[in-house]
Amino acid sequence: MWADLTLRRTQGGENLFTLRAMDINLDHVAKLAKLRLTDAEKETLGRQLPSIVEYIAKLQEVDTSGIDPKAYLTDATNVFRPDVPSTEQAERDAAVAAFPKSAGDALEVPGVFT
Amino acid sequence: MRLKIKVADGVIMEILTVKAIRDAIAEGTVTAEEVTKNCLAHIDAEDPKIGAFLEVFHTRALEKAREIDAMKARGDVLPRLAGVPVAIKDNMLLMGEKASAGSKILQDYTAAYSATVVARLEEAGAVIVGRTNMDEFAMGSSTETSAFQKTRNPWDTSRIPGGSSGGSCAAVAAGFVAAALGTDTGGSIRQPAALCGIVGMKPTYGRVSRYGVVALASSLDQVGPFTHTVEDAMLVMEVIEGRDERDATSVELESKPVAELLEPTMMGLRVGVPKEYFIDGMDPEVRARIEEAIAVFKANGAEIIDISLPLSPYALPTYYIIQPAEASSNLARFDGMRYGTRAPGTLEDSYLTARSEGFGLEVKRRIMLGSFILSAGYYDAFYKKSLAVRNALRKEFDEAFKRVDVIISPTTPGTAWKLGEKFDDPIAMYLADVFTTPANIAGLPGISIPCGFANKLPVGLQLQAKPFDELTMYKAAAAYQALTDWHTQTPSLVV
Repeated sequence: MWADLTLRRTQGGENLFTLRAMDINLDHVAKLAKLRLTDAEKETLGRQLPSIVEYIAKLQEVDTSGIDPKAYLTDATNVFRPDVPSTEQAERDAAVAAFPKSAGDALEVPGVFT
Repeated sequence: MRLKIKVADGVIMEILTVKAIRDAIAEGTVTAEEVTKNCLAHIDAEDPKIGAFLEVFHTRALEKAREIDAMKARGDVLPRLAGVPVAIKDNMLLMGEKASAGSKILQDYTAAYSATVVARLEEAGAVIVGRTNMDEFAMGSSTETSAFQKTRNPWDTSRIPGGSSGGSCAAVAAGFVAAALGTDTGGSIRQPAALCGIVGMKPTYGRVSRYGVVALASSLDQVGPFTHTVEDAMLVMEVIEGRDERDATSVELESKPVAELLEPTMMGLRVGVPKEYFIDGMDPEVRARIEEAIAVFKANGAEIIDISLPLSPYALPTYYIIQPAEASSNLARFDGMRYGTRAPGTLEDSYLTARSEGFGLEVKRRIMLGSFILSAGYYDAFYKKSLAVRNALRKEFDEAFKRVDVIISPTTPGTAWKLGEKFDDPIAMYLADVFTTPANIAGLPGISIPCGFANKLPVGLQLQAKPFDELTMYKAAAAYQALTDWHTQTPSLVV
């Protein structure tokens, strides 16, 4: 049961989850993921992602009507702490020292608009 | 830890546990420096065979040990883990030391602060001896996706130690340290613990702070201990658990179980055996060991109750939606801007180069999967659906825990596999975590304890309890260890 990768496919009606390699637009997803894929990676992922997606699409079998989606299972809501700096100087100095490029103790980054 | 000490009558005693090391130091049988030197020498001599450590902190460790000895000489009250050598997974920050999360993108990153769990260990007198190998960003079940090295199972060095916390696990199993920290997002503590024959525990979600731990999937990640005994796991948990203002998901605990006060017992314990965890295709030898373990519970006063958790088989596909989705968001921060190596070019070029050259294939696979799941048109069908299944799964466990105190099962469907065997087949690799992901999805505590061998390889027994009821889980697991000696067996490779 756990390892069963075959989907219960709906008869007739639309089935969004019968995915073939062409259904995942790798270039679009890579852009969203901020990744530049090599041809070899595209070949591998183009083969593997559809089978993984087919596997996770098994969830469509579960009836979740009347059940709220929950991102977290703890009861905590709106956890606050006082808005005061609590970083020690040594930690701040170490973070600044780690900057790949800096101007004084400010982080230097490439411009967003060029 | 394989620490050989001379006791009063000239007999050489070998000790393996946190408690024995701590007590020997407190009693003055050995000094913390002797313990640490012994530990470091053992790692230096034997770890080349195992590959558990990415870096050993020789100087730092010895300094810390001498501090403990100075405290002892002054007559100070020693803290809970004074002088006990501990290893940490490479995704935990220790200020001034490197932390790379097994990834090339962080290979030159030096921690600017310490993780709460690591700071708490140091305050408790533990000696942090090194950082251990792991799957890159904890994405993997065999420790093979590490950008740096392979780690081998101390019971059979042609096999994987499990993952993703394989280095920490192998370090304890090989006797290098008595305890190590790992992280468990889908089984990354319990699964390797099972495959290496030691104790590995995932606390209830919210019990332990993740501040300063490199995030994989924030609604699932927990930090927990690897040890040889349940008592040792408790000693480590006592130190690391509890509310931390810097992790908003960590909770104020009403009470903390204390190792010395534990009364291990299975008398009257209601043990649930879910039929969904005994599947066709699982290793029959593993199944036999689990059935023998259940018989031990039955023979010692536990009530064995057959239960059904029909949604459990959906925990793994749920996991492979939530985890890549959260990981793709969490890993967006790795762009070479604030630390690491800045790639040249425009902002976009710089991001793309740093990430594409810095991440390995498994990480790219999951970031791609997560980005796909969260993209327009798929979000509701995958991500939102998975959150509903998650809630349904939790409700199913809540119902089960009205009838039973603990749920018992195998930790994994099989034993440790050969290096490379599943490396190119992601789904086969993911299936190694089928029995461990439910606890992460539902936020439950889980522990794996050794329960014998199948074809000379260790088998793990998993106990799960209701959220924040670690005490019941400890009692049952410690009672099992009191009746069996699987946890005292050690691999012969490294002596």
